[in-house]
Amino acid sequence: MRGALLFAFNSPKFNYYEMAVATAKRINHFLGLPVTIVTDNDSLPKKQSYTFDNVILADADKTNKRDWGVWYNKGRYRAYQFSPYAETILLDTDYMVNSDKLLKTFDLPTDFCCHDTTSFLMHPNAVQEMLSVYSFNTLWATVVMFKKTKRAEQIFNCLEMVQNNFDHYANIHGFISATFRNDYGLTLATRIANGHTTTKEDVIPWNLLHVGKNTSVYRKNNDEYNTEYTVMFDNWQRGKIRKEYINIKDMDFHVMNKENFMELISE
Amino acid sequence: MDTTILISEAKARFNHNSAKAYLKDKYDSKLIVADQSGLWKADTQTITFLSAMDDNFIVLMDTFNNPVEVNRDKLLVLLKETYNKVMLEWHKEWKELESKR
Repeated sequence: MRGALLFAFNSPKFNYYEMAVATAKRINHFLGLPVTIVTDNDSLPKKQSYTFDNVILADADKTNKRDWGVWYNKGRYRAYQFSPYAETILLDTDYMVNSDKLLKTFDLPTDFCCHDTTSFLMHPNAVQEMLSVYSFNTLWATVVMFKKTKRAEQIFNCLEMVQNNFDHYANIHGFISATFRNDYGLTLATRIANGHTTTKEDVIPWNLLHVGKNTSVYRKNNDEYNTEYTVMFDNWQRGKIRKEYINIKDMDFHVMNKENFMELISE
Repeated sequence: MDTTILISEAKARFNHNSAKAYLKDKYDSKLIVADQSGLWKADTQTITFLSAMDDNFIVLMDTFNNPVEVNRDKLLVLLKETYNKVMLEWHKEWKELESKR
């Protein structure tokens, strides 16, 4: 059986459960998959407007911090253990599903895959992120497809090991360890599980589309399952902002700006 | 939300290069097809090669650089269908984009 898995632990600043509900509805609509949520009692609302396929209660690891506050992103390695599905798409809650494209990942001849390349809307030539200048290109934990196999289990076990020893790996690879990032953890875990090599088969063969800095997305209409957006970019030139835009449709994207994502799902 | 008002009030300019890059991202991914235990791109090179060969079963390098034995006819039909469908959609959206120049 196939399904999707979302982790949602509310932070003081953002309601991840609400984001997960919006994303789950879109997963149901565009991918036709059931959705399981991993959350905690503090995040679970008293009155629930949406019924998940499964609700798994887990303790949030609250030890991670970012520039804007506390970030409850640790513990993603438990996805393998928590997923009730034989084939799972693990998604960030701020991933806007607008098509059935992710279903293709199930057909790839692999038991585990994630993105290794990104594109930024309005930044066509943005460079790929690396762990550090001395290290590897980053893999992205935003979208992960895995099947219940020994190898996939080993990757998630490695992710746990990397999370628990993040300072050590930061020291080796020359990145800052103050904030744990699943992207970095996954990059290292997949390499370790694959015998310290990369395998092309572990890569989703298209770019992860980000909405990055100085970029805002607006819905073109208020339909619940709207897939058309205007993307507006503040292009700074000689101390002045020049506004630029494009229109997009039927294209999945990952919204890095959580406030913007909340606006998109609340309109 | 009527974004045309937003665009007009912000005096925003249409960014042609970004729109082109978005279309490439969108439709390139649609050209990728998993079939017969391999991963293929429905591009002109692969379609031409499959068309040029005679044998029913051939070994072809997939996009992961793995040699895969495939039923040539079956893969050719699938790639041609995918190519035509995706490129027609791409062309249609591209024409809409061009009209904004």
